[in-house]
Amino acid sequence: MSTVDQAAVTRVKDAVAARGNGAVLSATQPHPDTLRFVIEKNAMRAAVAGLVKELRARFLISVGTDQRPLTGDFSILHLFSLDQDHLYVLLESSVSEKDPWIESITDLVPGANWAEREFRDAIGVRPDGHPDPRRLLLADDWPEGVFPLRRDFPYNYKPPRAENVRPQMLEPPKGASVLPIGPFFPVLEEPAYWRMFVEGETVVGCDTRIFYNHRGIEKLGDSVMTYNEIPYLAERICGICGFIHSTCYCQAVEKAAGIEVPRRARYIRTIMLELERIHSHLLWLGIAGHIIGFETILMQTWRVREPVMWLCEEISGNRKTYGMNTVGGLRRNLANQIMPKLLETLGRVEKETVAIRDAVIGDTTLQARTKGVGTLTNEWAKQVCVVGPPARASGVAIDARVDHPYAAYDEIPPRIATEEAGDTWARVLVRIAELLDSIRLVRDALAAIPPGPICADIKEEIPPGRFGLSVVEAPRGEAVHFVLTGGDNRPYRWRVRAPTYPNLQAMPAMVEGANIADVPITLGSLDPCFSCTERLETIDRTTNEVRVYSGAELLEMSRRRVCPGGAR
Amino acid sequence: MFLSKLREALICLKAGRVTLDYPLAPQEPKPGFRGKITIDADLCFGCGGCANVCPANVIVLSDTEQHRRTIEFYWRRCTYCGRCEEVCPEKAIRLSQQFETATNDPQDMYMRLEVFMGPCQRCGRCFPPPTALDRMMNTGFREGPRGGRA
Repeated sequence: MSTVDQAAVTRVKDAVAARGNGAVLSATQPHPDTLRFVIEKNAMRAAVAGLVKELRARFLISVGTDQRPLTGDFSILHLFSLDQDHLYVLLESSVSEKDPWIESITDLVPGANWAEREFRDAIGVRPDGHPDPRRLLLADDWPEGVFPLRRDFPYNYKPPRAENVRPQMLEPPKGASVLPIGPFFPVLEEPAYWRMFVEGETVVGCDTRIFYNHRGIEKLGDSVMTYNEIPYLAERICGICGFIHSTCYCQAVEKAAGIEVPRRARYIRTIMLELERIHSHLLWLGIAGHIIGFETILMQTWRVREPVMWLCEEISGNRKTYGMNTVGGLRRNLANQIMPKLLETLGRVEKETVAIRDAVIGDTTLQARTKGVGTLTNEWAKQVCVVGPPARASGVAIDARVDHPYAAYDEIPPRIATEEAGDTWARVLVRIAELLDSIRLVRDALAAIPPGPICADIKEEIPPGRFGLSVVEAPRGEAVHFVLTGGDNRPYRWRVRAPTYPNLQAMPAMVEGANIADVPITLGSLDPCFSCTERLETIDRTTNEVRVYSGAELLEMSRRRVCPGGAR
Repeated sequence: MFLSKLREALICLKAGRVTLDYPLAPQEPKPGFRGKITIDADLCFGCGGCANVCPANVIVLSDTEQHRRTIEFYWRRCTYCGRCEEVCPEKAIRLSQQFETATNDPQDMYMRLEVFMGPCQRCGRCFPPPTALDRMMNTGFREGPRGGRA
């Protein structure tokens, strides 16, 4: 277990106290790796500035909670991670119902942009001075002044339909044309609407409207489901990293309730998490190849991936949505007779992955299509708090498995693979290195797996009013779950942040100056999943001429890297 | 460049054909697969533990008469998590190996079970016969802090 340095704790306390100017109401250490400060809302901005500027803290997410039934106020939490010191820092402020606003921190931390807009939409606390206060979470036809995450809002309320609503989008810069992508598009796993501002075939900026697929699971979690039903809901947040979300949720509850998970359960969780990373990275590699028209790599990586899926089915009873996690441990043991088969399959996957890597690494067509495409600079990656392979490919060496060890990663540490270039090719290299390291991790875990129980015996109710914060490194980056325990056998607040949430915020910087044909692979290199496409249209503003491209045409464009009217 | 193309071609050639003949040839799931739920009506004594823990609320319990408890399974919404199987004290409910459940008729995905119960002399509510009470306390409802619905 990585120990938390007491000097770091003191340093954080001093920094917050110095900037807070006596407005720090309490400073506690509820878990060994977590510091919690309750600050008056006037001093929040100064405290955040202290953390970010002096201690290089990385912003995770904001949580807005309606605590009116308990304290009479709303509470706004900003979560930070000090990766070098293995510490989480929580800054909490209460905001009165009569005067629901708090100073925005987006100019200090650009990555807080969406998080602040989200708590404004969800509980109605206005981030004052926010540079882009448009709607984010709620649908465009949702009535004003109705906040779904407030406690007095019933979970099954359906607002009346509104007519003639459209998303509020930014105006393109003068002289630029608009190229809408979405809401349905092949490289996005959920409906998302992008407007690329183009001059000729060069992208000069972009705007986005997302959250078309918002399913209100956080509301369900705190009003309908119970502690042990939520893992199955959490598992369905993502089709690829389901086990990651259920593990993350369970760990947050276990941390809140002080439940000690048996060592064997932590090892099996590690094995399943790594198997998920293996098949996710193989899937990504195939799809990245597909986008740029390199079908060989798609067919071959998916062929290699399939035995891993069968293995997961044999271990858990299902290819995906394993249903293995429960609060306190696991429901299904790893049978000893599967282990030789597991090792054999992994050996084969490793051999074939290495063969594919050696073949494609010298392929100049692949390099020509990915090198220098979608570059994310180290500085901006830190500013927008990008996570996972996109961050590591830009030289930001963060990995929740190392920085905040969970499951069995304290005993079998992973190696962080980093690249400096920050382009799509660097992301390919990082993911292949991680894939091979995951195979090693599963082998190490299988060699060291201890016997024993797989689930903690929980006799008492989970006490209300405690909180747990858990971060799990998903294939796409880190997933963050925050749980505030409540009565009625269910959480009072459950906050989920998926890894694509911060990564998508880096998109505008990545596509700026790019060619239109590079947009699909740039989106794809962030590893959102891929659904079927509808269409893409370009509008030339000067002539109002509309040209509609089908998905097939666009993919073709991406593969040939030609553009209408372009010279390439 | 040429070398890597050659290597790629070799990988493809070496792999050969990997697709399965399903659905022309039957495909057996792996042991431990979680498929369609089956219920052994003779074993069920109506404790309702399964309805208590079902995350998707597929299992609905209603005490229609004093002596009769109806358990309905709307398993078209089933997520095949297997919690019901896990908590059933009599192992009356099980997840089978059956996965080919596509149908045109939603009624095919509905099951209804009626269990005769012993009504309480004081409150009139249905209970399993007294001898089974101990068994019931053993599994389905021990889940309280971990999974019971308050």
